[in-house]
Amino acid sequence: MGGGFRVLHLVRPFLSFLPEVQSADRKIPFREKVLYTVISLFIFLVCSQLPLYGIHSTTGADPFYWMRVILASNRGTVMELGITPIVTSGLVMQLLAGSKIIEVDNNVREDRALLNGAQKLLGILIAIGEAVAYVLSGMYGSVSQLGVGNAVLIIIQLWFAGIIVICLDELLQKGYGLGSGISLFIATNMCENIIWKAFSPTTINSGRGAEFEGAVIALFHLLITRTDKVRGLREAFYRQNLPNVTNLLATVLIFLIVIYLQGFRVVLPVRSKNARGQQGSYPIKLFYTSNMPIILQSALVSNVYFISQLLDRKYSGNFFVNLLGKWKESEYSGQSIPVGGLAYYITAPSSLADMVAHPFHAIFYIVFMLSACALFSKTWIEVSGSSARDVAKQLKEQQMVMPGHRESNLYKELNRYIPTAAAFGGVCIGLLTVLADLMGAIGSGTGILLAVTIIYQYFETFEKEKASEMGFFGL
Amino acid sequence: MARGSSSQSTSSSTTRPGTAAPRGSAAATAGMRRRRLGASSSTAGGGGGNPVVGSGNASNMLRFYTDDSPGLKISPTVVLVMSLCFIGFVTTLHVLGKFYRYRSGSGSGSGA
Repeated sequence: MGGGFRVLHLVRPFLSFLPEVQSADRKIPFREKVLYTVISLFIFLVCSQLPLYGIHSTTGADPFYWMRVILASNRGTVMELGITPIVTSGLVMQLLAGSKIIEVDNNVREDRALLNGAQKLLGILIAIGEAVAYVLSGMYGSVSQLGVGNAVLIIIQLWFAGIIVICLDELLQKGYGLGSGISLFIATNMCENIIWKAFSPTTINSGRGAEFEGAVIALFHLLITRTDKVRGLREAFYRQNLPNVTNLLATVLIFLIVIYLQGFRVVLPVRSKNARGQQGSYPIKLFYTSNMPIILQSALVSNVYFISQLLDRKYSGNFFVNLLGKWKESEYSGQSIPVGGLAYYITAPSSLADMVAHPFHAIFYIVFMLSACALFSKTWIEVSGSSARDVAKQLKEQQMVMPGHRESNLYKELNRYIPTAAAFGGVCIGLLTVLADLMGAIGSGTGILLAVTIIYQYFETFEKEKASEMGFFGL
Repeated sequence: MARGSSSQSTSSSTTRPGTAAPRGSAAATAGMRRRRLGASSSTAGGGGGNPVVGSGNASNMLRFYTDDSPGLKISPTVVLVMSLCFIGFVTTLHVLGKFYRYRSGSGSGSGA
């Protein structure tokens, strides 16, 4: 910690202006936690339905279509930015700290405070930046159409919504609620999406008369109205342009598989050195890095998409731009879809038939997904401080040893499992994502996997909370 | 974020939530559960407790602001009220906007 200039100290003047939720000074009872969580969720849901004031139109291609699911954002609403500011700032700071560009000593209280402050400040700045970029890029109509006053109002709304999300997340994390705000919002958004796709009562005229959007409702509607029941059933199961029953079943199947695999773990027995007879265990899960590989992978992919789309619009026809990706408007949804270049090859094939027709695309996609997930997973354990070396250090600090192994062997023993678990877990996650995409699960494989892993974590939290309450009363 | 939780005697019941063992981390959760099970079955007792092993913070990214830092202190109620006020504010804007447009007649619709 020898003096010199430190980037972190730049944050210090701003620290006193950053909103900061008080830490709880007592233990919050379980019921109260649930209450706080529910209220936060309610606010989030209202915000993600409330349209922004002053916008002119939200028609036209949506360049962030791919990111919406994982960023819990809804187009044209106050939650337009969703959790983008937090996630981006968090990722940036973690990577900076992990790669030692910013020096942070986690044992120093001030450093941690500064890092948190920096993250929050960056989040708020990103929120402003994105809000301005959205308005200036004409996503809600050009600025001359909107008028300067409205443009400023929109920026303020988006910015304030960003701050609210940051505060809500902090509120939940400081121990007033369950889990973290980010994962809660992602999971909620995803579940809302699935429920909507299953039961949406909206009718859409697709040329063969009005059809219901929701898969289940459409099933009944088709069964009742069609005279030829078998054909009606087949249509409900296989219709292409709207969510169908197969998609719904695929979603459920993926849910079940992921939950089944969550239980896979290697349990290493550990024993305390100074207190005899105390056994503990250190479980290494198959999904050691949980959903991080897909979060990182989709962040990468959405950035590639975004850049490629931007370039394609400006310099369509350039050789290198085409190499990166060619985009075309889809006839169903009006969304741009990639039809060539790198962007095309890292997009999931739309169906099994498509896969057979373009085997190279399919193989490239699968190889890309699996290797990216495995790689990110292995990188992440290093960055986040859960690699074998870190775990060994932690165990040593807690005076734990593995029975039958010397202390110096602890690292070696952990190193046998952890990198393998991380890489293999990453591959499994990637494989499941591919599977979900191929079966056409609702809301993209990435989204589903995120939702399931988050929900599973929530169940674990619930169980833990209950156990600790029980223990509390039992004492 | 190595959190040395070396004083685990009654960590699960009395620690302040702000500095409690990481909740998001699945490994720690599982460890906790095992600990509870062990404590209830064996006679080791909840007091001694088996150590909370490892904060294998896999989902570290999803938990940012856990520590206290100096800043504009606000209580959780204020956060919730603030959010509700914001929602109210935007709704009012909508209502006023409609009202204004109605008043200004069918002329230029895109007024502020």
